[in-house]
Amino acid sequence: MRHSKLLLLAAALLSGSAVAEAQVRFPVIIPLGRSQPAPPPGMAPAPMGSPAMLQSDLVMKAGGDTVYFSAHGATLDAIATASLAAQARWLLANPFARVRLEGHGGANDSRDYALAIGDRRANAVRDFLISQGVAPPRISTSSWGKERPGTVRIGTSIVATGPRVVTTVE
Amino acid sequence: MTISFSRTALLLPLLILAGTAAEAQNAAPTATVIAIPPLATAKNVDTDAGTTTWGLANQISDLIIADLKTTDAFILADVSKVRIPSYPEVTAPAYSQWRSVHAKLLLSGFVNARDDGRLTVGCYVYDVQTGRELARQGFAVSPNEWRRAAHRCADAAYVKASGKTPQFDSRIAYIAESGRPESPTKRLAMMDFDGANHIFLTDEQVTVLTPRWSPKADRIAYVSLTGGAPQVRIADVSSSGDRPLLPPGSVSFAPAFSPDGQRIALTISLNANSDIYALPVDGGGPQRLTASPAIDTSPSYSPDGSRIVFVSDRSGSPQLYVMDSDGSNQRRISFGGGDYGSPAWSPDGERIAFARSQGPLSAVGSMAVDGSNERIVTTGPNDEEPAWSPDGSRIVFQRQDPATRRTALAMVPAAGGEVRSVLTPQGASDPSWAERQE
Repeated sequence: MRHSKLLLLAAALLSGSAVAEAQVRFPVIIPLGRSQPAPPPGMAPAPMGSPAMLQSDLVMKAGGDTVYFSAHGATLDAIATASLAAQARWLLANPFARVRLEGHGGANDSRDYALAIGDRRANAVRDFLISQGVAPPRISTSSWGKERPGTVRIGTSIVATGPRVVTTVE
Repeated sequence: MTISFSRTALLLPLLILAGTAAEAQNAAPTATVIAIPPLATAKNVDTDAGTTTWGLANQISDLIIADLKTTDAFILADVSKVRIPSYPEVTAPAYSQWRSVHAKLLLSGFVNARDDGRLTVGCYVYDVQTGRELARQGFAVSPNEWRRAAHRCADAAYVKASGKTPQFDSRIAYIAESGRPESPTKRLAMMDFDGANHIFLTDEQVTVLTPRWSPKADRIAYVSLTGGAPQVRIADVSSSGDRPLLPPGSVSFAPAFSPDGQRIALTISLNANSDIYALPVDGGGPQRLTASPAIDTSPSYSPDGSRIVFVSDRSGSPQLYVMDSDGSNQRRISFGGGDYGSPAWSPDGERIAFARSQGPLSAVGSMAVDGSNERIVTTGPNDEEPAWSPDGSRIVFQRQDPATRRTALAMVPAAGGEVRSVLTPQGASDPSWAERQE
């Protein structure tokens, strides 16, 4: 009888559930193999890799690399700020990454105006990322005017995406 | 090219011209009947142009006719039944036979080979009714430059008949486009206004935009877009020199020469604010002309250099504004619907051409410099980037075919009328047009 109780206790101690319970009870468990600060909630750092791989990681984890604007606008709407806040978290999680912000004008803009407003939009995004804690030297801006009319295929038609800023990992 | 004739002979004809110019204005838009027989030659000899002087004489008269046909200022008299003038008759016309074909003007001339291998081309414009010489011009040209002499002869007739400034010895600079519309290859190119002597000035590696001629058509200010960093550069056409206007790192675009060719107005973006500045072409610091927190861009000088028209979105949308060339007295001049862009001040100083985008359409038009009397001359899905012909009679612009997305150049009379295509080897945009001077 006493033997059997001892055996049961030993079996319980050896089983996984018992070990887990013991860990919960004793707050001295230290996660091993981790020396970096924890990333912001919901964001793990990207694996080291080429800019293209980092770009994919940015798109996957921040939900996108492009924000859009109204015809003459350079102000960020709620969708843009949400996307950029996620991009800022990605940048904070990947402190080695540098980005170039590529501003674009619309197809109906004159060539000069498209360059000017592309520059203005890229700088609006830059200001927002800095406000979220990203260090200014990690961000450069550029303007492609209307020289790179981004397009997406919707069904059979090609639609220009126009006024936008694309965050490109360098 | 040198003018080899004395100009003193022009004094008397100029007095006569004053009268004929007034007549032409009253009679406008009546075209002038002009007779253009083949040029003569003192002695038919071989030249380095691939034909004899007689062959060149015919080619030159053909080119003069082709030039004048591009305007609506002339009706060509039928010279097929008229005796071709002999060499001595070039300076002593048989006026009665030109009256018999109802010509008002006669353009005759000669081509001679010189001992130094060059050619002498002379041309004369006569008033057939009064029997007076109106103009004469002479050029010593290398054989491969005979087209320039022909263009200058056509200009002599055009200036006398229309009272306008010359336009045929001119060049069009533009951006040649090829490749996919999503990321086109864009090269700086130039050609004579009739398409001859086409050459590329930049390679395929760098996207380039908005060439603007210097007033003498010897330099081109343009924008290179390496890596999305717009920067104004100056290309020297004769020496093949090419340099940035500002130190590296500055964001600059939308260049425009002042009428004396000494200064460039342009947009510089500093701290995310695009403003208009002006600076000496050959060195010196930029002077800031606008200071609004809005976008100010696309400057274009008035022909006397005293004012600048530009684009600003300080009202919320891009509109046209005029200011003195020191930046003072800024005032809005465009109040129609839609967005205005790409203003260009006319050579006579009276009007400003622009592109106006409204909904899905983009139109090219012009307005008086105070914003009144707006006149749309073309409307298409994408008619943009207007520039004036050197004499101000026409507007050249870019037009995109919505089906193929190919962009090409076209021209239209400044007062409106038939749109004609300008042929280029590839797609084409951003035209600039200037008369050569040397």
